[in-house]
Amino acid sequence: MKVIKKEDLENFVDELIANNEKEVVGVKSKDSKYVFDKLENAEELELDYDVTILPPKKYFMPQRETLVEYETREGIEMEAVNEVVPRIIIGIHPYDLEAIKQMDKVFADSPEDDNYLEKREKSVLIGVNMKQISEWSFAGSMGTATIEDGYDLMLTDLGDRYAVEIGTSKGRELLERESLEMRDAEPEEVEEVENIEENIQNGFEKELDFSPQNLPWLLAENYGDEDFWEENAEDCYSCGTCNIVCPTCYCFDVQDFSDISLEEGERMRQWDGCMLEAFAEVAGGENFREERAERYRHRYMRKGRYLYNRFGDIACVGCGRCSSQCVPDIADPTDIFNKLWSDKDE
Amino acid sequence: MKPEERPKAAFFDFAGCEGDQLQVANLEEKILDLLNIVELVSFREVMTEHSDDYDVAFIEGSITDSHAEERLKEIRNNADIVVAIGACATIGGINSIRNAQDFEKVQERVYGDEREHYEAWEKAKPAKAVVDVDYEVHGCPIDREEFLHVVQSIVMGREPNIPDYPVCVECKLNENVCAFERDEFCVGPVTRAGCDSCCVNEGTICWGCRGMIDNPNEEAHEEVLEEYGLTAEEVMKKFDLYFTWQKEAREDE
Repeated sequence: MKVIKKEDLENFVDELIANNEKEVVGVKSKDSKYVFDKLENAEELELDYDVTILPPKKYFMPQRETLVEYETREGIEMEAVNEVVPRIIIGIHPYDLEAIKQMDKVFADSPEDDNYLEKREKSVLIGVNMKQISEWSFAGSMGTATIEDGYDLMLTDLGDRYAVEIGTSKGRELLERESLEMRDAEPEEVEEVENIEENIQNGFEKELDFSPQNLPWLLAENYGDEDFWEENAEDCYSCGTCNIVCPTCYCFDVQDFSDISLEEGERMRQWDGCMLEAFAEVAGGENFREERAERYRHRYMRKGRYLYNRFGDIACVGCGRCSSQCVPDIADPTDIFNKLWSDKDE
Repeated sequence: MKPEERPKAAFFDFAGCEGDQLQVANLEEKILDLLNIVELVSFREVMTEHSDDYDVAFIEGSITDSHAEERLKEIRNNADIVVAIGACATIGGINSIRNAQDFEKVQERVYGDEREHYEAWEKAKPAKAVVDVDYEVHGCPIDREEFLHVVQSIVMGREPNIPDYPVCVECKLNENVCAFERDEFCVGPVTRAGCDSCCVNEGTICWGCRGMIDNPNEEAHEEVLEEYGLTAEEVMKKFDLYFTWQKEAREDE
């Protein structure tokens, strides 16, 4: 573990920005909220934020992305497109790092998604331990409040200094600068980081009443409880907010957009969400999840069961974005999961 | 596309501000690209010629009296494809605010002592309430790019890609701070997306100009607005600006 003075970290970030080798993005404030965005200078960086509106996933799988460009002037010509901007992403919380680890598995699964993987490969992830905890977060229950790996560098605020944990050689290389003043952490500082991480575990207002390892079983048991799902989905707008802000939602829709000349165009993908009515509609008009309640149930099944069965991870990292941004306040996983758990013996 | 293969297109306006046709006129240099795929035979904002020989009719404005009804039916007979453009033509638009008001008062406010000389329906209607409409370009005003997308789709014989999900989707994709988090209230959760949440991107709210999605959860949204402290009357006002005709049509279903 290393230690760097806060002002030296600021200089370091400014130097990375000036260096221009990679785009430097980090957490910035947007009105009363926070977002990951391009940094103009280190002063903009808000490392004591609670949660961002969208997760950093957007840098590996942009909201809208061109996959193919085509033209039809003489025959059909097509070219695969992947716009890769190498980036340093500063200020990722542990739950988002866990989500990125999960997404790395999803997109590396056959067929590999080069558009994601190349962007991911060219990115450097700098994590930070939480100073502020969102009132909606339950990362403490999901085992994602702190993290052992998945970052290139990990920062912990020690007042006038940051502790820096080096996770990978990519992270180490980033620090190899003569101008950078950094020293080894002293035993008290190592202990301080340990204490801080332990305290984070106890800082959550929301929690799951049981181990998340029970989720696959619990959800399978309650799949057929249609009254439960209907009752809880009654106020659902089917607006897809909970999908779009989720760090482990990765579904997308692909559409061709022709230029007005009708001779060239592009194939685009845009984030999609299983809560949207047209999501499961297929040619011929059949919709496999026509009812609000079916879609509502599906999201919980994905998070707690289906993805676990496929990749071995509980695909909810407890960030609380879905519940905090749901206008009718019906998307809180702790609410639904705890209700199911307390009803299990009935 | 060979010039002679281009479908002939004509614009017609009914009760409305002609702002949607203005959006088309404002395509400026892109209007030349448009002319490569359609032949304009009638469009009073940009040309003096007129012809009743057309394949595609673009309808702007809502239908508010029997003369308009007759005229629209004639256009429907002449055209192979009818496209409603703008909120007045697609959902009754601003004109339909009056649908929920006392009609005599409405007439008096508009025509004063002369009101008996003017025939008008009690309720303003969108084009589809009078004739079959093949395509709709939503918005108040319409989005120029979406208009081009619909025209292209017609020429290519494919379905245009018009979202049937709420504005919330685009608001989140654009990482806007939700109006509800800013202590404001909007109808984005029940309004059809496709505008790229342009109003909220600029820091204001969604007024619902693209109309409600096909299957909105109006009841939930009315409850939510009341929970956030709006009175029942204020909630109705939120819904009345653009949704009056749609709400009534849904109740009649």
